[in-house]
Amino acid sequence: MSEIIEKRIGHYETLLREMWTASSKYLGTFSVNLLVERVVWEVSLEYKEIELLQYDQNGISCAKMAARLEENPDLPVEDMFMKFITRYVEILARLLGHERAEEIRKKLDEEFAGDLSASRGE
Amino acid sequence: MHPNLLLNISVRYWQDFQDTLARAMNANVYIFDANGDPFSRFSLPAELCQEVNKGRELRNEKCIDFYRSACGSTEDKDMLTCPYGLKLCAYRLGSYAQKIGYLIVAPAGHTTLMEREEEIAFITKAHNVYRTINEVFNAILERNLLGLRRLELNSIYEISRLMTSIVELDRVLELITNSLIIIYQADLCFVGLREGDKIRVAQGKGVRGNLLIGKEWPLVHPLIERIFSKVEPSSLSIEELKVLPGFTGTDAAPGTEIMVYPLWTALGIVGLLGIAAPVSLGDNGSKNLQIYINFAAVALANATLIRRLEREAETDFLTGFLNRRVLRDVLATELQRAARYGYHLSVIFLDIDDFKVYNDTFGHLAGDVVLQKTAELIKNSIRTTDIACRYGGEEFIIVLPGTKGGDAAKVAERIRKSIEINPFPHRRITASLGVAQAKKNDSVDSLLARADQACYQAKERGKNYLYLDPS
Repeated sequence: MSEIIEKRIGHYETLLREMWTASSKYLGTFSVNLLVERVVWEVSLEYKEIELLQYDQNGISCAKMAARLEENPDLPVEDMFMKFITRYVEILARLLGHERAEEIRKKLDEEFAGDLSASRGE
Repeated sequence: MHPNLLLNISVRYWQDFQDTLARAMNANVYIFDANGDPFSRFSLPAELCQEVNKGRELRNEKCIDFYRSACGSTEDKDMLTCPYGLKLCAYRLGSYAQKIGYLIVAPAGHTTLMEREEEIAFITKAHNVYRTINEVFNAILERNLLGLRRLELNSIYEISRLMTSIVELDRVLELITNSLIIIYQADLCFVGLREGDKIRVAQGKGVRGNLLIGKEWPLVHPLIERIFSKVEPSSLSIEELKVLPGFTGTDAAPGTEIMVYPLWTALGIVGLLGIAAPVSLGDNGSKNLQIYINFAAVALANATLIRRLEREAETDFLTGFLNRRVLRDVLATELQRAARYGYHLSVIFLDIDDFKVYNDTFGHLAGDVVLQKTAELIKNSIRTTDIACRYGGEEFIIVLPGTKGGDAAKVAERIRKSIEINPFPHRRITASLGVAQAKKNDSVDSLLARADQACYQAKERGKNYLYLDPS
């Protein structure tokens, strides 16, 4: 795998893992997996490749997606992940309340240098 | 659910398809969503529009207003003339049951379609474009709907498995509300459980759903009676629900419909479940949701029953205090905590004086009243963090975390006095109390033994007395 692709996917994989861990603390792994399944389905209506996201009781992995990206480097990964994250946080806010969801979003935003703010068009 | 979710397709890919079709048909095509907002861009440059808008995109407010108004009044298909003189064909997309959006087909070039033959040819072409696009949209809609139903069924399957294996009420409530919000994208979801003659909201999520938690609605309330008068769900507007406590502060959008499901099992009413009515549910979706609700009712009934049994197993029926069996666990935990964090812990042992004589003279029912009243006096004399327990017949234990022996003695004296002055039926009642402070390496048995011994000393000193263990 080329270094750039590896870096791009690695970046999002870390972000998704952090999101998964932070929200499972409040919701439990079953609800978080259901939430991921829901958002994957929604985003897959536009980007089929999101179905390559692997998730189970232990967390999220982007390994299959990275392999796909190797074959199709033109895939708009940023847009796809940002759509995923935006929808995920939207539903999370309904489940946890805006304050706690905002807490999670801010914490992740600090760690990932404004990625989530960008996803909301801020 | 987002209103356009079922039409959630990549606009970029759609635009490519639309542009190719427009070029092949030599007609300009653009699409508006169900609300009359632009969905795609013009497929081909329209000379007149270019003059007005200086580009391909539909940006002119006058045009937008015209299309929005035209779309709103188009029932099936219509022939329109835009504010800049372009003749257009407008079509409603979707079925009668499901409005997807609107299609506008315009000539590719600037023409007034004055010639009759030219007009007929254009209308035929526009109709063909409409049929193609409508077919594609319906196929997308069908595919998306199937995906949603598959997601629902998978979720219901997983949840039903989980719900039948979870017995903790809080977890069942969390699971139900979380799943419904996730699957149906509901803005609000709440569950109320029956407690005697009322419904008490046990869980609420979504838009200010937490404000509903703890609110109580009598079963005889006309609206609640209406909900339980049938087995099917009631569709209630937020305005109708505002007669119930908790809904006055809910800032859900006016007109929001809430589906309220009565939760029944063979044992009777379990409670109710409310969910902001999901869009595009359809017949199959409603059935899936009803299956889910049925599972939820059984899971809630089981969890409620188990919680009640657990509480009854831990609680003394007569006084409502913890029973002797639970006391040992509670005291062991408190001893560990006191040792770990280095705080004090004291125990009061209370024995009602000459209770056997009272019981034998006035009967067991009168004795029960004394026990209940004594428990009430104890409860009124201690903090909420203190733990009271009925130890045996007329014996009570009070555990006081974070309290030194001397302070515990003050509490014990307060209890003794309140019993002494209370007007019990038939005759005056008194109690003897022993107080012991936990020492390093104390066990449950050693601490209770010292408190018991202190109580014995109080009896020895003539009853209606308080004795503090000096060790």
